[in-house]
Amino acid sequence: MARANAEQQQQPATGMTLIVLVGLAIAFLLFMAFLNVVKSGNLLNENNLLFATLIFYAGAGALYLGFGVTGTPSYLKFASLSTWAGLLANTGAIAHRWYESGHAPFSSVYEMLLSFVWTLAVLTLIAEKKYGVKVIGTVTMPVAIVGVVLMQLLRTEVHPLVPALQSTWLHVHVTLAMLAYAACALSFALAMMFLIQDNLRTDTVLAVTSGSTLAIYAGIVLTRFEKGGALNLVAWNPEVKSEVFLSKGVRLFVTVPDLGWLMALTLLVVASPLFFYAWARWKNNDSFLAIANRAVFLSILLQVMTLVMFIVRARDGRYPSLDAEGLFPTSLAASPFILSGLVGGVFISLLYLLLLWRRSDLQRALPTADVLDRITYKTICLAFPLLTLMIASGAYWANQTWGSYWSWDPKETWAAITWLVYAGYLHMRITRGWRGRPAAYFAIFGFVVVMFTFFGVTYLLPGLHAYA
Amino acid sequence: MALDLRAVGHKTWRTIASIQTGVVLLILVVILAAAGTVVLQRPATEPDEMQAAYSPQALHILDALGLTNVFHAWWFLGLLALVSLCIVAASIDRFPNAWRYFSRPYKYPDPTFRRALHPQQSLPIPDEESGLVAAERALHGMGFKPERVIPKDARENHFGIFAERHRISELAVYIVHASLLLIFLGTIIDGVWGWRGYLSLNEGQTSNVVDTRDGSTRTLPFSLRCDAAGQENYQDGSPKKWWSKLAVVAGGRDVLTKEIVVNDPLLYDGVRFYQSSYGSNGKVDKLSLVATPSNGTGAKQTIGMTVNETVQLDADTTVRFAEFLPDYAVRDGQVYKKSNYLENPAAHLVVTSKKAGQDFDVWFPPMADVADNSKAPYQFEATDLKLGHFTGLQVSHEPGQWGVWSGVVLMFIGLAFVFYVIHMRFWAVPVRDPQTGKCSLWIGGSANRNRDAFEQRFNQLVTSVETELKAAPTRSSGVRVATGVAS
Repeated sequence: MARANAEQQQQPATGMTLIVLVGLAIAFLLFMAFLNVVKSGNLLNENNLLFATLIFYAGAGALYLGFGVTGTPSYLKFASLSTWAGLLANTGAIAHRWYESGHAPFSSVYEMLLSFVWTLAVLTLIAEKKYGVKVIGTVTMPVAIVGVVLMQLLRTEVHPLVPALQSTWLHVHVTLAMLAYAACALSFALAMMFLIQDNLRTDTVLAVTSGSTLAIYAGIVLTRFEKGGALNLVAWNPEVKSEVFLSKGVRLFVTVPDLGWLMALTLLVVASPLFFYAWARWKNNDSFLAIANRAVFLSILLQVMTLVMFIVRARDGRYPSLDAEGLFPTSLAASPFILSGLVGGVFISLLYLLLLWRRSDLQRALPTADVLDRITYKTICLAFPLLTLMIASGAYWANQTWGSYWSWDPKETWAAITWLVYAGYLHMRITRGWRGRPAAYFAIFGFVVVMFTFFGVTYLLPGLHAYA
Repeated sequence: MALDLRAVGHKTWRTIASIQTGVVLLILVVILAAAGTVVLQRPATEPDEMQAAYSPQALHILDALGLTNVFHAWWFLGLLALVSLCIVAASIDRFPNAWRYFSRPYKYPDPTFRRALHPQQSLPIPDEESGLVAAERALHGMGFKPERVIPKDARENHFGIFAERHRISELAVYIVHASLLLIFLGTIIDGVWGWRGYLSLNEGQTSNVVDTRDGSTRTLPFSLRCDAAGQENYQDGSPKKWWSKLAVVAGGRDVLTKEIVVNDPLLYDGVRFYQSSYGSNGKVDKLSLVATPSNGTGAKQTIGMTVNETVQLDADTTVRFAEFLPDYAVRDGQVYKKSNYLENPAAHLVVTSKKAGQDFDVWFPPMADVADNSKAPYQFEATDLKLGHFTGLQVSHEPGQWGVWSGVVLMFIGLAFVFYVIHMRFWAVPVRDPQTGKCSLWIGGSANRNRDAFEQRFNQLVTSVETELKAAPTRSSGVRVATGVAS
């Protein structure tokens, strides 16, 4: 009894540790930033604001994670506070950008990420305050952090708007798109939490998370591995801040030695938990799951190492190319997908570990499965009209600009596909009475499609939305 | 075995109207549309680009499958038509039920319904009438208009209170489906009767012939003239604005003039003209020169000329603007035109002197290898070069637009109703226990969506009925409800 009492008293103490640690980290980083400000003599520029956004969101993410793991309410208070501070800096960055460029910040991937992260933070605070989904930040804040990091890489100079983009409808269109996509992101996070609360087996999560990381590494190795263990990366011209093109649409690749081997090795290690999982299922022997869990731990270490090596090698330096004579520089900005894939892989694996170690605490902190299911549905009820409005305003704008409201360009087509997927969700839910698991899987699938529409189409498929 | 046509027809109908068919068709649409975004598409991609991207065998297979032009293929349009048919069929199939629900509201809940309904609550009441009055008052207080349900048949004892709000919500989904069909109708009209094309006009040029997308031309019943066109740049040189001053000429006179810019087209007779591109056409509008006699006697003259124009400089000297090269190169003392792009322009003048009986070549910029400008009887200084420009116009005729945009507006209305307007119903029925003779008020409620929020409202109603019951003076239990009650 006394022991239990002691533990109860101890919990707030450990709670304070994390807050103090995160607080110290934030203070330290702000101090470093302050030194930078003193050196440059310029406080409110976009870089500083972005940096502050990153610091506060990262702090919020750590505290949300801490709350998810321990359920200590004081974490949450400080996490919200940190999110508010980050949101403030984020708003400042948007305002600064807007002021500097003279147009709403929606005309490049960088500017859209800025708005997307902002919307995500706002929705997170709303979900937390209004619906009481307190750990939502555990999922949304890391997404926001990845967004801000990507922004640092994709930083572009302020470009004036080409004539086609000078339209009020553009702002309407893109604002709606960001709102809709952020609502979809929220529904995704809620659906994941539903699955946890709905007692989805931990080893199923193991299979899915290691499957996802496997897919990331397989994608990298299959497309970029070069003979002799090198890795192909896009060459980068630092002067014009752009990829190097051999001819229209054909990028120049440089081969970075040894990184290929490292990627292949990580691929094997990342695949091993899945292998052990399959073995355990096949033999019906759960002891292999314990091995699989250890393999996940090992894979995280190796993934972090790969990430560090990748950053070190790809950040700068000059490398030979198979297609042209001489040495060419590359940059992290030239490979945003590989980088976000690597970061995402680490993040996914860490989320699994969180679930593995702290599942019961997590479940105590979350609202009931029923509530999560309903809020997921509600967010999609919000996202769907927004998606509809987004497509309609885009069509109207296209009609004003190109004389055609629908031309089956890849972005349009994928927006329509996203709309159809969510329409399917609503029909299944309303007429077929889909609840719980199937609905949650559907919501997750919907967000995957949204992500492809947002990023995949821009980078992988050609079309009119080239500037977006 | 005789073929029962009616049975076959019925079965076909059931298949088309089923939600499974709809889902399968939509999945097909999604897969094919996705394929159409991954595979390069024919009219947008040039044939040589296609050949560069795919091997001949792959290209052959893709072409044979129709995957290189998915969105205009008959089978894709057919699939969309099938989807529309499916929506129509499903709507027709389900509509009568929904309409019955809408037109004949269920006002008196029978015992079976009362047992199954959630949420529900029973409150003890002194007698039927006071319970009904309390329910009425509570519903009034919540902004509802309750109505008394009176039995049609004197033998029945079907007394109760019924209140509802937003019954239209039951039909909202049909509004959405109808709007989708309206949009489809608009696009079909555009697909059949609409056309798109391109018209390029030099400044001052008039034309009524449009190059359409399918490679043919279309003659308009009116002509379009470009009076002026221009481009404004940002400081970094990237284009900020393109504009064209256009005039519509019909029956020999200007009927409409407008300066169009990107995002602001000209509309005449159902045909719209969009600013799409702008550039130099490689022709000279005006070359301005200052001519000074070489021997120093005589005044300076300022002249302006276009290509092939001849200007008299003095009694026996003329100058002709012989040719203009937008992009020139010199090889072996000869000037060549390298390209039609305005990269490196050169002007060629020919000065003819009757007295000397000789032609002198003058080049701008001066080219020592080609001709010696200083030999000519006049020395020229080029002060300005005005180049001719063309404006590129997208032309489109889309007679189905009204359908598309009204469909879009209707869809918003429908979606607003579907998601945010809730059909709420409340019933209150006094029930007397046959054994004990005690009276209680059964209260039930139902909403077609957002049930958790509705339950709060229901609890609010129950609390409010309880308050009303407490406030009301107890009536003697002898008075039965049957005495002509009306609210």
